[in-house]
Amino acid sequence: METFYLVLVLFLLLNLAAGMWRVLLGPTAADRMMAAQLFGTTAVAVLLLLGQVEGRSALHDVAFVFALLSAVTAVAFVRRAWSEQEKKHDSK
Amino acid sequence: MEALSLLQWLIDGLIGIGLLWLAWRALFCPELFKAIVLFIAFGLLMTLAWVRLKAPDVALAEVAIGAGLTGALLLSSWAKLRDFDANKGMGVREKNRVQSEQKTKRPFFHWLSATPVLLMAVGLGYGVLQLSPYATGLSTAVAENLDASGVSNPVTAVLLNFRAYDTLLEIAVLLLALIGIWSLEIRPSVREATLDPVLDLLARLLTPLLLLVSAYLLWVGAHASGGAFQAGSVLGAAGVLLILAGWRLPLSLAGLPLRITLVVGLSTFIAVAVLMMLDRGQLLAFPPSQASLIIFVLETTATLSIAAILAALFLGSRPDHSEKI
Repeated sequence: METFYLVLVLFLLLNLAAGMWRVLLGPTAADRMMAAQLFGTTAVAVLLLLGQVEGRSALHDVAFVFALLSAVTAVAFVRRAWSEQEKKHDSK
Repeated sequence: MEALSLLQWLIDGLIGIGLLWLAWRALFCPELFKAIVLFIAFGLLMTLAWVRLKAPDVALAEVAIGAGLTGALLLSSWAKLRDFDANKGMGVREKNRVQSEQKTKRPFFHWLSATPVLLMAVGLGYGVLQLSPYATGLSTAVAENLDASGVSNPVTAVLLNFRAYDTLLEIAVLLLALIGIWSLEIRPSVREATLDPVLDLLARLLTPLLLLVSAYLLWVGAHASGGAFQAGSVLGAAGVLLILAGWRLPLSLAGLPLRITLVVGLSTFIAVAVLMMLDRGQLLAFPPSQASLIIFVLETTATLSIAAILAALFLGSRPDHSEKI
């Protein structure tokens, strides 16, 4: 079972590497931010799997706090960074 | 068994290479926004690295501060910088001129900033080479004295008892950062005034949860991963979320009550330090019988202050000031 979990972790990490292309290519800020948010979701899964492999319940807390807080970053992006661009597009 | 260790090698290698690559891309990326997203991804991978290094306490701190607040702070600063450029009406041509000027200046500044970094790297490398390979570190000393610390989590014991002045100074640094920002007299952004029903709902759902998790982290810090900084930044994230949702501190609370909340952590810490100095002749040397209670009081007040400071850092301008304009 442990091997299976670690294979899954490796698979998710490879997914992260693939998602990195979206961050680099963009083209819009929203694309990059969405990729970063998806990384957050993947990282939560990796944390839970590693917690299972290593038998540490502390990692569940880490995953939980991660899941809660990544929403705040997304909200900050939409409210502060993105809304302005929308307005610019509208005015064009 | 062979396959298992190969898998772990692959995972660790991927995390390690990913970290170096992300750090390099984030540093050399000319586009600020891209660099911020890369930095967020870097923090995320760093968390996984700490987990692989069997340091869940550091991983939790990285998550609480890196994932929640650093990203939000950087994005908000980026938006402010962009607005600043737009307001100044900096034309494309002028921008290009500034950029080309920066390019010509670059090599000099590169070397100017690289010299102390290189010196420090050499010094650190020398220091590491001087270390005895047989040293066991201080973990045995901590384990031996854990009973006297008042908590059962060795990390909390070190941070709030054996080396409590570290935490004292960290809170002081945060407060200084806020004083620095407040003295800049930044004009508040008025963009959040528009109401968004989805965000309103999200804030209503998430805020109680964040409060609960913050209290949980504060409490659990005594015997497992957690503690004042993690709890404070989760509570601060709740504040950031409320600020983003358009909620503002009532004017009656924005003056003295806010300032008291901002300094209560540091002042309690200093008061305890002075009391211990008078009573036992040593700074922050807690009597073992009361250590548990003292740490609890210190952590609770520190959590409140850290949360208030972080939320105020995000707001950027003085709340009692912003209402007047």
